[in-house]
Amino acid sequence: MPEPILVVDNVTKNFGGLTAVNEVSFQVRPKEIMGLIGPNGAGKTTLFNVISGYYTPSRGKVLFQGKDISGKTPYALAGRGIGRTFQAVKPFPGLSVLENVIIASFLRHPKRARAEEHAWKILEFTELTDRAHQSAASLTLAGRKRLEIGKALALEPTFLLLDEVVAGLNPTEVDRTIELILKLRDQGITILIVEHIMRVIMRISDRLVVLNFGQKIAEGPPAEVANDPGVVEAYLGGGEA
Amino acid sequence: MLLVPAVVHDTFLLRVFTEAVMWIGLAVTFDVLAGYTGYLNFGHSAFFGIGAYITAILMVRAGWHFAPAAALGGAAAGLGALIAGFPTLRLRGAYFAIATWALARAIQQGVLMMDITGGPDGMRLPALLSPRFFYYVMLGVVGITFFVYWFLLERAPFGLKLKAVREDEQGAKALGLNPTKLKIQAFILSAIPTGIIGGVFAYWVTFIDPASTLGDLVSDQALVMVVFGGMGTLIGPVIGAVMIFAFKTLFWAYLSDYEVLYLIILGAVIAGSVVFLPDGVLGVLPQPQRRKEARNHA
Repeated sequence: MPEPILVVDNVTKNFGGLTAVNEVSFQVRPKEIMGLIGPNGAGKTTLFNVISGYYTPSRGKVLFQGKDISGKTPYALAGRGIGRTFQAVKPFPGLSVLENVIIASFLRHPKRARAEEHAWKILEFTELTDRAHQSAASLTLAGRKRLEIGKALALEPTFLLLDEVVAGLNPTEVDRTIELILKLRDQGITILIVEHIMRVIMRISDRLVVLNFGQKIAEGPPAEVANDPGVVEAYLGGGEA
Repeated sequence: MLLVPAVVHDTFLLRVFTEAVMWIGLAVTFDVLAGYTGYLNFGHSAFFGIGAYITAILMVRAGWHFAPAAALGGAAAGLGALIAGFPTLRLRGAYFAIATWALARAIQQGVLMMDITGGPDGMRLPALLSPRFFYYVMLGVVGITFFVYWFLLERAPFGLKLKAVREDEQGAKALGLNPTKLKIQAFILSAIPTGIIGGVFAYWVTFIDPASTLGDLVSDQALVMVVFGGMGTLIGPVIGAVMIFAFKTLFWAYLSDYEVLYLIILGAVIAGSVVFLPDGVLGVLPQPQRRKEARNHA
C-alpha cells in the first residue's frame, strides 16, 4: 500500500465548550477521492478548516506528505500543494473572472504574463473562457462554484479539498461538475470532498469517512458504508427516542 | 505639465499648480490603501507630518541639505507605517479608521509637547524663494511616485494581490497570499512618498506647525478626492484631486466671503458622488481598454 498523502491523527477541535471535531483519525491515499460525509453540524467544514490551516487543532495533528502541518498558515499550505474551495464560495466579486484566476496563478507563476497564460488554460478547463471578463459577482451559482474550483486548480495542488461544490446545482450542472472532478483525479490530484448529495458522493468516492457529532462513525468503500447500521441511524434517525 | 512654469509667470498661479500637484500625490498615495487594499487610513496626515517635521528638524537643527532631509523624512514615514501597521492592520473597516485617526492625533499631541519640534509654535525653515524650483521638485516626486505605483499596482502582480486581500482576506489566504505582509507593504508604499511630499511642503511653505501638517485636513481632503475621482484606480484620484482642488481654489478666489458655503457644497458633492457615482467620476467614463481586451479573447 502506498504511503498516505494525508494523515489525520486523532484530531480534536474545541470552540470554548463545544467540541466540533472529536478525536478523528483517517488517512487519504495518493490519487484517490475520499468522501467526507455526515449530517449538518457533524464537523465536516471544521475538519476542512483544520486540514487547510484555517484552524489549529486543539489536540492531535495533521500530516501532509509525511510532515506535520498542524498550525501552519493557509498560505504556507497552499504553497505546499494543498488547494481548497469554500462552501460559502469566495470569489473576489469586484474583480473579473480572469483576474480571480490570475491571482491564484501567481503562486506557481510569479510573472504576470505567465500567470495570465496559465489562467486562460484553467478557464478553458473549467469552461469559463467566455465569462473571463465578466465580474465574478455576475456569475451564476454554478459558475461561481466552477470558478472556485478553477482558483484552487490554478494553485497546481497535489491535494484538493472540495467543500460542497455540487450542492445547489441543477442536474446538468451536477453532471458537469462530477465530470470535472473525475478529470482532476485522472490528472493525479488527490481529492477530499465534502458533499451532501449522496448520489454524487457514492458515485465518485473511492472511500468514505462518515462524521456524526464530531466523531468518526464509519470508514470504507461507499457500498459498505451505506449499509453500516450506525450510518443509517445517523442519517435517518435512531429507533430509540 | 513640465511646461507649466514656462507659460505661467505669475507666482501665485505657480503656487496653485504646485499645490495641485501635491494634492494629486496625496490622493494617489491615500488610494493605495483605501482603494487597492480596502483600508481607509484616517491617519494619512501623520505620514505627511512626519515627513515635514523630520525634514525641518534635519535642516534647521542639523544643517542638512534639503534632498537628504526629505528622503529621510520619507523613510521615517515608511518606518512609521511598518510600526503602526502591525497592530492596526489587524482591524477592519471603521475600527482601522478609528485606530489610525487616534494614532495620528497622538503623534500630533506628541509634536505639540516636544521642544525639538517647537511645540505649538511650529518651525521656520530656511527660505528658498524659487516657486519654479518647488514646482519641479513637487512634480518630480509625485511623477516618480505615480510611475512606481503604475508599475507595481497595474503591471506587476502586487496590485492584483492587494485587490484580492481587499475583496476577501480569507479567500486570499487559500490562494497562497499572506494578507498581513501585503497590507504592511501597501501601508509602507503609501507612507514613503507621502512623507517625502511632506518634506517638500515644509521647505516650500517655510513654516510648519502641528495643525497644518498633522491635522485632519490632509487625510480628509485626500479621502474626498479619492472617493470623488474613483477608488482603486490610479487615474481616479488624479481626476478627483484636480477637480476638488480647482473647485476649492476658485471658490476661495471668488467667493471667500461664503466660507461656510464651501464646506456645505463639498459635503453635498461627496454625499451625491457616493450615492450616484459609486465608482467616482472615473466610473462614468467609458473604459476602452477593457472592452478591447474582451473583444480580443471573444
